[in-house]
Amino acid sequence: MSPRVFLHVLSVELRSQLSYRADFWINAFAGFLAEFGVTWFLWAAVFAESGKTVIGGYTFPGMVLYFLAVVLLGKLVSGREFEGSVAADIYEGTLNRYLVFPASYAAFKYAQRIGHLGIAFAQFVLFGAVAYLVLDLPRAGVTPLTVAMALVTTMAANLLYFLVDNIIQYVAFWADNVWSLDVAKRWLVMILGGQMAPLSVFPGKVRSVLEFLPFRFFCEFPARVFLGDIGLYGWLQGLALMGIWGLVAWLFGRLLWHRGQLQYAGVGI
Amino acid sequence: MIRYLRLYAHLVRFSFSRAMEFRLDFFFRVFMDIQWYAVHLAFFAILFRETRALGGWSWDQTIVFAASMFLMDAIQMTLFSNNTWWFPILVNRGDLDYYLVRPVSSLFFVSLRDFAANSFLNLIIAVGIFAWALARYPEPLGAARVALFVFLLLVGVGLFYLLSMVSLIPVFWLQSRTGLREIFWSLERFGLRPHGIYHGWVRRVLVTLLPLALLCSYPQLALYDESPLRITLHMVAVLVGASLVVAWMWKRGLRSYSSASS
Repeated sequence: MSPRVFLHVLSVELRSQLSYRADFWINAFAGFLAEFGVTWFLWAAVFAESGKTVIGGYTFPGMVLYFLAVVLLGKLVSGREFEGSVAADIYEGTLNRYLVFPASYAAFKYAQRIGHLGIAFAQFVLFGAVAYLVLDLPRAGVTPLTVAMALVTTMAANLLYFLVDNIIQYVAFWADNVWSLDVAKRWLVMILGGQMAPLSVFPGKVRSVLEFLPFRFFCEFPARVFLGDIGLYGWLQGLALMGIWGLVAWLFGRLLWHRGQLQYAGVGI
Repeated sequence: MIRYLRLYAHLVRFSFSRAMEFRLDFFFRVFMDIQWYAVHLAFFAILFRETRALGGWSWDQTIVFAASMFLMDAIQMTLFSNNTWWFPILVNRGDLDYYLVRPVSSLFFVSLRDFAANSFLNLIIAVGIFAWALARYPEPLGAARVALFVFLLLVGVGLFYLLSMVSLIPVFWLQSRTGLREIFWSLERFGLRPHGIYHGWVRRVLVTLLPLALLCSYPQLALYDESPLRITLHMVAVLVGASLVVAWMWKRGLRSYSSASS
């Protein structure tokens, strides 16, 4: 797919997102408030009832800042509202029209996915700034350099998430509904990626295994890069590991795509 | 009443036949729920590496809380979730017409038509976890208290259904595909943690206006509280209030419904 077509698809998707503004922003605000609010109360209780001032290397304000970054950057990585669209194309038979396009289906879907991130980015800036100011959080190690590093990390994590997600979506060639698998993947990412608790509070052996799995790149890694917790060497190492997982996911996704097309009848529901 | 029970038995039979046509999906859903249970148990275990109590509850009490959360979720997934998922689509497409012309209560038919057979298997697993959590509890609980706990959990399930309907019925009036469902899904997270972690006005709201703490936390309080009657009356009063609100909203909503153009 040419860069011009890619940008055009991206722009069309972004504009379609903006057409349901009120609905979208009300849901986004409630979602952020609930997710961040429950996390805040939970960890406030853990700190208060344990009597500890530092847990997993974080003070309470540090923990709140970590979750703020995880919740907001997580939206940029996962782009959740977009999940399921590939499976729906297969199930409803609308994949037919993409197959006759002179462009790669995966590239087309990726451009649409990036288009979805425009509003997630606006949420990141708006909700992040408001929450940061209202909660009087520590400044941490956020610098222009960590912001630039986090931007690269988030883009790479988004691509990795897309490739992993595609594997699940392509299962729709064999199953009528992969919604349950999508939800299962989300929960797995939440617990093993550091969205429910920082990985530093996990038992040592589990943590050392999680270091090599792809889940932390969807939540913990971008947040810690943004907050300046990860040095240049650790960052490059993380990017390299993301590259390896990306390659594995891409190859497996390609295999499923080719096998799946042999199954696909194109008749829809 | 007998007519409705017989009708429901037929609906359950049809749902099982339908579920067995899509066996792969059947097992995906079973896998999803088992993983959801495992994730929550692991999460609470991780938290209890750092603290000896959460919202005033010990590890054993938190396990009972998690088990009651699984049970409540499994019951509502089995009985209501497929139906509440489809409800906004029925309104927007005008397919609600087919439900309105049946000689039974439209709210009954909309809410209970599809029995999720795949979630029923999870319900059996959730009942197992629930029994295990109560059996491993280190202090004697007493049969009467456990019976009250189970009854209040069922009240909690009813309340969950009513709250989700309160979020869905506005689809009759709003220019929205799903009413206020997304907002409800976000807010329901408050009910998935022990209510003791909340304080101030948030806690007051969670037991009154937005009674999410009544879903799992309050039933469990009845196990330990010296006066469970207060908790029982509170929950039943909120259930009755929510039922009246839903019945009123349903009537108003149907008056506004104009088939496919809604």
